[in-house]
Amino acid sequence: MTESVHHIVIVGGGTAGWLTAGIIAARHKSRIQSGRFSVTLVESPNISIVGVGEGTWPTLRGTLEKIGVSETDFFRECDAAFKQGAKFAKWTTGTDDDYYYHPLMFPQGFTQQNLAPHWLRDGGGRSFCDAVSPQGQLCEAGLAPKMITTPEYQAVANYAYHLDAGKFAPFLMRHCTQKLGVRHVLADVTGVNQAGNGDIISVSTEQAGEVAGDLFVDCTGFHALLLGKALGVPFRDCSDVLFCDTALAVQVPFDEEDAPLASHTHSTALKAGWVWDIALPTRRGLGYVYSSRHTSEEAAHEELAAYVGPKFKDLKVRKIPIRSGHRETFWKNNCVAVGLAAGFLEPLEASAIVLIELSAKLIAEQMPANRQVMDIIARRFNETTLYRWGRIIDFLKLHYTLTQRTDTAFWRDNCDPATIPERLQNLMTLWTYQSPWFFDEFDRLEEVFPAASYQYVLYGMGFKTEVEDDEAADAVRARRLMGENLALTQRLRSQLPKNRDLIRKIHDFGLQPV
Amino acid sequence: MPHIAILNRDAHHDLRVRPHGVNQPEDRMHFVPVVVGEFGHLVTHYPILFAKDAETGAFFAGAMLGFEPGENLFAAEPPSRDVYRPLNLQRVPFFTSGDNIAIDLDSPRVGTHADGQGLFDETGGPSPYLQGIMGVFQQLVPGLERTRAFIARLLQLRLIEPVTFDLTFDDGRTITTDGLYTIDQDALRGLPDEAALALFRDGSLHLMSLMIASLKQVPQLARRKNDQLTQGFSGLSGAFG
Repeated sequence: MTESVHHIVIVGGGTAGWLTAGIIAARHKSRIQSGRFSVTLVESPNISIVGVGEGTWPTLRGTLEKIGVSETDFFRECDAAFKQGAKFAKWTTGTDDDYYYHPLMFPQGFTQQNLAPHWLRDGGGRSFCDAVSPQGQLCEAGLAPKMITTPEYQAVANYAYHLDAGKFAPFLMRHCTQKLGVRHVLADVTGVNQAGNGDIISVSTEQAGEVAGDLFVDCTGFHALLLGKALGVPFRDCSDVLFCDTALAVQVPFDEEDAPLASHTHSTALKAGWVWDIALPTRRGLGYVYSSRHTSEEAAHEELAAYVGPKFKDLKVRKIPIRSGHRETFWKNNCVAVGLAAGFLEPLEASAIVLIELSAKLIAEQMPANRQVMDIIARRFNETTLYRWGRIIDFLKLHYTLTQRTDTAFWRDNCDPATIPERLQNLMTLWTYQSPWFFDEFDRLEEVFPAASYQYVLYGMGFKTEVEDDEAADAVRARRLMGENLALTQRLRSQLPKNRDLIRKIHDFGLQPV
Repeated sequence: MPHIAILNRDAHHDLRVRPHGVNQPEDRMHFVPVVVGEFGHLVTHYPILFAKDAETGAFFAGAMLGFEPGENLFAAEPPSRDVYRPLNLQRVPFFTSGDNIAIDLDSPRVGTHADGQGLFDETGGPSPYLQGIMGVFQQLVPGLERTRAFIARLLQLRLIEPVTFDLTFDDGRTITTDGLYTIDQDALRGLPDEAALALFRDGSLHLMSLMIASLKQVPQLARRKNDQLTQGFSGLSGAFG
């Protein structure tokens, strides 16, 4: 095999495969055009994609823009909708009025001052989210995060998307093959051919012979055909921290075509887990994510039926196993895993697609020039990616450990210190005396969850940080920033259109590129 | 709803229309949609810019007559000065309905005013005034399509960029304009030869040059506003109505 890295082979389509292909091909476009570099995606014509990931992060806006997709086309062809954050209901006390928002906008003036201590002393009767950000109010009012005159990918209020994963992968496939020069091989992989040092030389396929490459990206989903099976990298289970191991998913039609469309993910806690509820323009996608150690499938079924209402009896329920955890390393030899092949966690904070974006971006940016430097890059990739998985697991667990619910063993067991990672335990001790902000440890470039996210969840769930009196100048500035937030909230509430109306307009007229 | 009727020589024989001097919403428009065919006339008085339709987000070309909603800095201009009026102001109170010309019968311009312009002559043919209106629509209707094509071309080549004007007036007030767009001159200079030649051949380059030149009208327009402000407020400092 050649020493230079020129030929990238991605095994597996689906969201992970096509996003990775798009990100790598867009970054190396001119090299592909001049024939010095290639991206090939091998996809089975017989294996269907898992495709339950329908929530994303605002990062996807930048990613789609960078790979050259029109946002209008994306809305029209992927049944996309706006997502301005998540509303967590019944996570703290379980009562009907128990909810909080984790929005996508930073608290007002976040880089200038931490408003959390000020709010803890005197919140003026407002929730933390409402005191520092307009976005919870925008979601409650069913408003869109922008206007028809706002250009593609630009926001008035920060936003991500909900999308139909079954349409997203084919949409990316068309773009990658037609615009970015990605080669598409439709064939079933029958074998992985390795050199003496373990490097993958090629994959054998039933329909297209051998496909050789210099770097292989494993996007084969739960199978982890390359990194797991061929290279034997073990899976690190984390079900001792995150208990949910099963999801029951349904798709619920709207009562009428123009029913209000939520611009946030609903996440409602039940007895042994929680329900995701994501509204696309065409339907809602729902799923009960639960711990089979804490409830039976029948009981889970009943709880989901009660959540959905009378329509439930006509719906097809799909059962999806969730094996929480990730590979011990993600890049070994000349093979790197992205997507479900790298690992999977319950979709509580929509971390699946963002991890694909971050991993693919890292591969594209750090593309090793030759085999000799690949191990150095692999080591850095593994370190960064392992850190990211760790922080996501911590952040998901935080939602469970802050609960005051004691109604079922599921919630009680979640608060058992033996199930809480030590790092998170230490942070929670620290946060009793100071609130997370800058100068905290969340200073890594592209930290998955910034300190703001921790603030929204901590104070949304009633966590108490002991605070000293403000410095006088800080108090004045904090009051000003909170005043600005209230004015902004009022202005946006009167300015922004209904979420459903804007999405209809995007279908009818499109968004402008500038 | 305004009462709009298709023009008919029998029903509307005695109608008279005042083309000027009626203080109506159209006289207070600060940004009037225009078509590419009138860019050459507009450039001598007005900044020609793009804005977006609030309902559809679609770009349209417009002449700037003032800096704020409700402000037409040319409204007080006597017709004798011969300042070019955009076709969309000249046509008021007329519309097109398919191939026909329609009239807004509720417009205060329309009535039996002695000082108004008649629409038909003794033989039932169109009066010179109505002929003028027909001429306006002959430019306006195909012009809309040409203007849309011009804008689509610029968008495709990414030649439109947002522009903001920060203005300070003698009464201390500052205005920052919002929602306006113009030609991206850097992008235009960066075009490959082939694309630039095509834009020259189809006339788009000329239209872009007129738009770029018209930016020089912004300070002129600001001076016009300043003059009106200082005249209006002379001796009344601090008394803002």
